[in-house]
Amino acid sequence: MTSREQLAWAIVAIPTIVAVLVVLTPRRAVTAVAVTGAFVTAGLALALGVLELRALGDPVVGNWIVVDAAGALLVSVVAVVGLATVLVSPAYLAGADSSLGPAHRQQHTYFTALYAFWAALLAVPLVGNLGGAWLLIEATTATSALLVGFSGKARSLEAAWKYLILTSLGLGVALLGIVALVAGIPGGGIGALSWRALGTYSSGQQSALVAYILLVAGLAAKIGWAPVHNWLPDAHTEAPPPVSALLSAALLPVVLLVAWRSEHALAPVIGIRAGQDVLIFFGLVSLAVAIPFLWRSLPWKRLLAYSSLEHMGVIALGIGFGTPLALAGVAVHIAAHAVAKAVGFYAATPLLEHEPRAAERSVTGIARTYPALGGVMGLSLGALAGLPPSPLFLSEVLIVAGGFQAGRSWPAAATALLLALGFLGLAHALLETTVGKARRRGGRHRRESRALAMLGGISLALLLALSALALWLPGSDLVGALLAGIT
Amino acid sequence: MSGGLLWILVAIGLAVVVIRRRSVAVALVTAQALVLVGFALYDAKDAGDVAAAGALAVRAVALAALFLLLVSRTRELRPVHARVPPLVRAVAAIAFALALTWLVPTLGLDSRNGERAVLALVAFGIVTAATRRATLFHVLGIVLVENGLALAALELPGGGSLTIEVGVAVDLMLIALVAGVFHERIFAEFGTGDSAALRTLRD
Repeated sequence: MTSREQLAWAIVAIPTIVAVLVVLTPRRAVTAVAVTGAFVTAGLALALGVLELRALGDPVVGNWIVVDAAGALLVSVVAVVGLATVLVSPAYLAGADSSLGPAHRQQHTYFTALYAFWAALLAVPLVGNLGGAWLLIEATTATSALLVGFSGKARSLEAAWKYLILTSLGLGVALLGIVALVAGIPGGGIGALSWRALGTYSSGQQSALVAYILLVAGLAAKIGWAPVHNWLPDAHTEAPPPVSALLSAALLPVVLLVAWRSEHALAPVIGIRAGQDVLIFFGLVSLAVAIPFLWRSLPWKRLLAYSSLEHMGVIALGIGFGTPLALAGVAVHIAAHAVAKAVGFYAATPLLEHEPRAAERSVTGIARTYPALGGVMGLSLGALAGLPPSPLFLSEVLIVAGGFQAGRSWPAAATALLLALGFLGLAHALLETTVGKARRRGGRHRRESRALAMLGGISLALLLALSALALWLPGSDLVGALLAGIT
Repeated sequence: MSGGLLWILVAIGLAVVVIRRRSVAVALVTAQALVLVGFALYDAKDAGDVAAAGALAVRAVALAALFLLLVSRTRELRPVHARVPPLVRAVAAIAFALALTWLVPTLGLDSRNGERAVLALVAFGIVTAATRRATLFHVLGIVLVENGLALAALELPGGGSLTIEVGVAVDLMLIALVAGVFHERIFAEFGTGDSAALRTLRD
């Protein structure tokens, strides 16, 4: 077993063990165990990312484990967001007045579900076959639904129920696609679903295309692509803010990776263009559906949720265009969206304390009444809008340019137009949220302001680093490895 | 699988779409799963196939026990009427099943009749979840879809994968367990398992 394989197993095992440990830990030590486990898990995941970066072009490919460039990128993103989520969770729990479980076990319930969810999220990019990926995605549904409905309040129960039912039905359709794929792959069994074996499908191009469409349409319900995105705004809005961050910044792109890998693996059978067309369709529809909502006055978390719909559409388009420029854009977009979106959701905890009505209506003039919070929210929204020098601006330019490079002029032009409209909507929201007319007076938040300033500073540094990366990435070996996939 | 058995499975699926009582619907999806178990055992070629049938049986019995427990713990004061009358539901389910059969040229399973039955069960499951207001029926819709997929696994030319079938059974039980937790909480919060109460989140 190579060091990368060992690390891959450890990255999944450690959070699973911590999930069990948390149950057995006395209440006063739960946070310490969770934070320690988070640093260990994130450290191992980042180490895997570094190792993979040094061995580009030589992916580990087995029936059970895969470590490639795209997987390492996603594992690193999930690790960083997971670590930050664990670190900000105590602040959320301190103000949580209700939960699904008994009050004295609130922390145990929360961290156990969070770690189980995190473990499954880390496992998806590393699993070596489509069947395993489906099982793990289904497992993320069960664990994350508990977190979405964690507060136990009527609205969160409604959101969790919608999420559970809609994504489970979607995954049922995806499983039908998987069964149809198995039927056409010689040998059968779990080996038939390994990423490399998918390309040996031999029952004809039309059947493979049907299976692929069923698979991607089912996964779309989990990724939150329009028109099967109905659960997404509700779940993101009603989940605890740290969980919303993990849902948007980690869960959605992780499931998207499975669609990406399936498209790549089946390209020799269904044709490269046919596979990409499906992704471009979902990308454009998601963008078109998201834009009108970005122009509306929405509560902060709901605005971020619709922004997730927009950004998952952009990533789908980048993968659909499939050129080196577009894939460079996809890599930067996944990482930058994760940072900007997670910070935005983390800011929701102090925001709801500062202005409880922000849960149900848009907020204005936060920078006037709570400058540190306004700064962090402005940073998040500015980056998500694609305000230069945001890395998301650069990644969107790369993706659109990649579309033209691929000879997909009309979809690329439509993408550029929709992104410009989305930018205008979010830029308006940015101005209103930060420097608009304040609805209430400011208060003293000295301690929280220090924590927010630190969060903002770290995020700004990460975003600037990603902007620099976006300039370096096109033409690099990393893009070559993303383009090659699991070959 | 014989045409008669496939018709029985489809008829049970359609009955779940139209039936009113939750407990009867639970009995029907369980019976459907047990028919699949019986066929899986009859068709088993090695120990792996027997183990896969065992996983399906455990899943069927465990889910039945869970759902019946939920029904007994969440007795409705008044019947929860579906949004759509039974006859319209049946017509919609059959139309959706026929449309799916027409749209999906082939899945590559052992027989075309088997494929049609799979698609019909998937369609019935989706229609059940979409048209029923009782929250437990939403979960039963998912189970109906999964029963259809279990049938598809049995109709695979080279047989299914034990690992995947056990995994699917475990995942479905996990989802049902979580759904059970939420069903009880929804009942406690709203005094009913009627999903009409769950319509406050809109844009």
